[in-house]
Amino acid sequence: MKNDNNKIGILDRIPVYLVCVFILCFVIAIFLTEKKDFSENENRKLAQMPKLTFENIKSGDFTSGVETFVADQFPLRDTFLSLMTEVERISLRKEIAGVFLAKDGSLIEDYNNPRHTDKQIQQFSKLSENVENARCMIMMVPTAYSVYSELLPDGAAKGDLQKQVIDEIYASVPDKLQKIDASSKLKEEAEKIIGTENNDKKDSLSPASSDTDTAGIDRLFYRTDHHWTTYGAYVGYEAFCEAAGLTAIPLSEYTGEVVSDSFKGTIYSKLNDPYFGSDSIVSYSHPDWKLSVKYEDSGEVTDTPYNPEYLTKKDQYSYFLNNIHPLITITNDAVESGAIALVKDSYANSMVPYLLQHYHTVYIFDTRYYKGGPSKFINEHPDITDVLILYNMNTIDNDTGIGGIF
Amino acid sequence: MVFSSLTFLFFFLPAFLILYYAIPGRAKNFVLLVFSLLFYAWGEPIYILLMLFSSFVDYLDGRLQERFEGSIAKKRVSLAIALIINLSLLGYFKYADFSVGIWNSLTPFDVKLPGVALPVGISFYTFQTVSYSIDVYKGRIKAEHNYFDYLTYVSMFPQLIAGPIVRFSTVQEELHKRAITESGFVLGMKRFIIGLLRKVLIANQIGALWDTIRVADGISIVTAWLGLLCFTLQLYFDFSAYSDMAIGLGQMLGFNFPENFVYPLSSVSITDFWRRWHVSLSTWFRDYVYIPLGGNRVGMAKHLRNIFVVWFLTGLWHGASWNFVLWGLYHGTLLTLEKYIWGNGLKKLPKVIQHLYAIIIVVFGFGIFTFDKLSEMGAYFVQLIGIPGNAFFGNEFFWYVGNYLPVLVAAIVLSFPVYPFIKKKVEEMSGAGRAAIKIAGAALSVGLFVLAVSSLVRDTYNPFLYFRF
Repeated sequence: MKNDNNKIGILDRIPVYLVCVFILCFVIAIFLTEKKDFSENENRKLAQMPKLTFENIKSGDFTSGVETFVADQFPLRDTFLSLMTEVERISLRKEIAGVFLAKDGSLIEDYNNPRHTDKQIQQFSKLSENVENARCMIMMVPTAYSVYSELLPDGAAKGDLQKQVIDEIYASVPDKLQKIDASSKLKEEAEKIIGTENNDKKDSLSPASSDTDTAGIDRLFYRTDHHWTTYGAYVGYEAFCEAAGLTAIPLSEYTGEVVSDSFKGTIYSKLNDPYFGSDSIVSYSHPDWKLSVKYEDSGEVTDTPYNPEYLTKKDQYSYFLNNIHPLITITNDAVESGAIALVKDSYANSMVPYLLQHYHTVYIFDTRYYKGGPSKFINEHPDITDVLILYNMNTIDNDTGIGGIF
Repeated sequence: MVFSSLTFLFFFLPAFLILYYAIPGRAKNFVLLVFSLLFYAWGEPIYILLMLFSSFVDYLDGRLQERFEGSIAKKRVSLAIALIINLSLLGYFKYADFSVGIWNSLTPFDVKLPGVALPVGISFYTFQTVSYSIDVYKGRIKAEHNYFDYLTYVSMFPQLIAGPIVRFSTVQEELHKRAITESGFVLGMKRFIIGLLRKVLIANQIGALWDTIRVADGISIVTAWLGLLCFTLQLYFDFSAYSDMAIGLGQMLGFNFPENFVYPLSSVSITDFWRRWHVSLSTWFRDYVYIPLGGNRVGMAKHLRNIFVVWFLTGLWHGASWNFVLWGLYHGTLLTLEKYIWGNGLKKLPKVIQHLYAIIIVVFGFGIFTFDKLSEMGAYFVQLIGIPGNAFFGNEFFWYVGNYLPVLVAAIVLSFPVYPFIKKKVEEMSGAGRAAIKIAGAALSVGLFVLAVSSLVRDTYNPFLYFRF
């Protein structure tokens, strides 16, 4: 065996020793860098070093915990994420880590078979049955994957699974629960927008075009975030009005303002590649509003549903109703009476402003954090005439989404 | 622990190598042993006791064989006991549920499934210890006197959980005295890095594609075949990459492990394929089952029986499920047919046809290999010939291929001996051009290493395929 093959030259040594230096630098960096609790970019808690106990070792939790800890706390984690995305994008991938690179340059999250539909049906039914004197409505909002299916890369669309699941939920909950078809309304609107775009600017499907004046105004979903835009929320509001027998107030009565053009949302964070650009956030206010917004957990009271301080942070969507609160109460003195209770996730946060001109009081429950069950609260407040259950199809099936419902 | 993880690359390996090189002489074995046990315990904290026991049985048997020198009867008893213990452990921990399942389906007396979890690597180390006992019995090797050295051999982490199946005879000498050189480190590390890149950047990526196609509805015939090709490429790159990493690590430590994969997807027949695929396993079955049964130096009927037995066992070794048995018998049948019927005729055909013949059989075979539920296998296989009325070709093919084009092309090209070919050509070139290409290659490999680390940091898809073996 000891022949020429074992002779090594400088060009064998250099790459090998470079890799060794690379590894050693990171070993040192791992020990020297301070461990982070939270990733601003990914908007999630990072794994910590697991506890070294006999039980943990025996169950294997310790070792798997160490593996996640190392991956989460790895130095320059964000840079590595960008690098990987960048290389995959250049190699013509149209789907990266469960995110589709849509034809218009936006990012659309994949939707997989839901696992908790039965539990959702059960909880929604229970709520509507427990509520005694108010009218109950449900609105399941499809995500961009369903509404913008035409924008998915060719070959990526696999039928409208979300619509099927919504239909299943609607068919299984009690008749008493009035169903709102946000899906058709949003798709109709998407059809209009995509149709005109195709005529207007056939060639300008260039990704990341940062024409911040229009982008975000006629979009239904953000380019880089899983939420609907304020315009998308308006379309959802229209669907609600039709079902609830209210007359939708035209958007032209509102004052629109582009409050941010630097919003990089949750889908962006998965890929973390500046190539994908950013979103603008349009904020609508009604000139007649006389608001009092009370966050029941902190006791803080403001006069607007908007929180501009978030616009300088990563999590800009929290501009709407200040991120997560178990219960928020908004009263509008410009409206005399009526109250609605919303049982919802973060999608509703950007739709709430449109409801304010219809009800004197809006109670907003985030059931992931509100303990005790909203039905009791609703029954104790006879002023509540309407109850709206509002969730989007994606987050409801996440473990945190349904895990905390009711 | 697996090699392609951040924990291994950034904690285990550097810590181990520094200690291993720093500590002198014989004590290196001790470092290797301690780290190997840690490595195993990382994934199997309890079953490590099983490995210690199993290797102790064979160590003891080796010593006894030596003591009983001259008394063939005693030697036989000792060997028999060692084999029974080892194979019973393998049988229980790997096949108990499977056997009970068969019993329950054949008889009306239902027995509760024992629900045994398979200890990782048990098939690999059992085969190593069994071969040790047989080799000592046959007088091919001398028994090892030092239990810790023997345990170091069995538990040696580079080859512990996914092969190659290194025989004691291969490493006996190196276990006591081996040359640890800079060239061994550099070449071994290079081999390890190549393996890591093949695993993370090719096998994992193509595996993700296969996972999508596997569950996709309404795919065309061509896409269904593409799916199986993807699985074949995933398995080949994953498995051979593990061997690359194992051989590379061995070389860094001063061991020469046998080659395990020799471009099997570039075979021209199934006979050829089995000289190239998982060589350490097929030679094991040849030496410890096929030849002791009489091999081909017996009548035709017995020869066929021998082939049948070997391939039944080869299939079963890969997992406690009928599809593996079926896969083994499928290959056994094709080998028999090649030997007795069309082998010679095949050789006269154009090379391209021979390659196509082999790859189609191999790819279809891995279809049997990958579906452990016969119903799923059936549902997928009918799509290969269009029975559900699926189209011959559909646009979804472009979606799948388009997304993974560079990786697919790289995988197919690298399934052939392209690298040795280029290397030879480059060596023949003149000074400047040769240096330029080598520098480019060096830069590329460092760049790809960084990319592999990125992929591990993102950590979306990094399976370990051999937990069933």
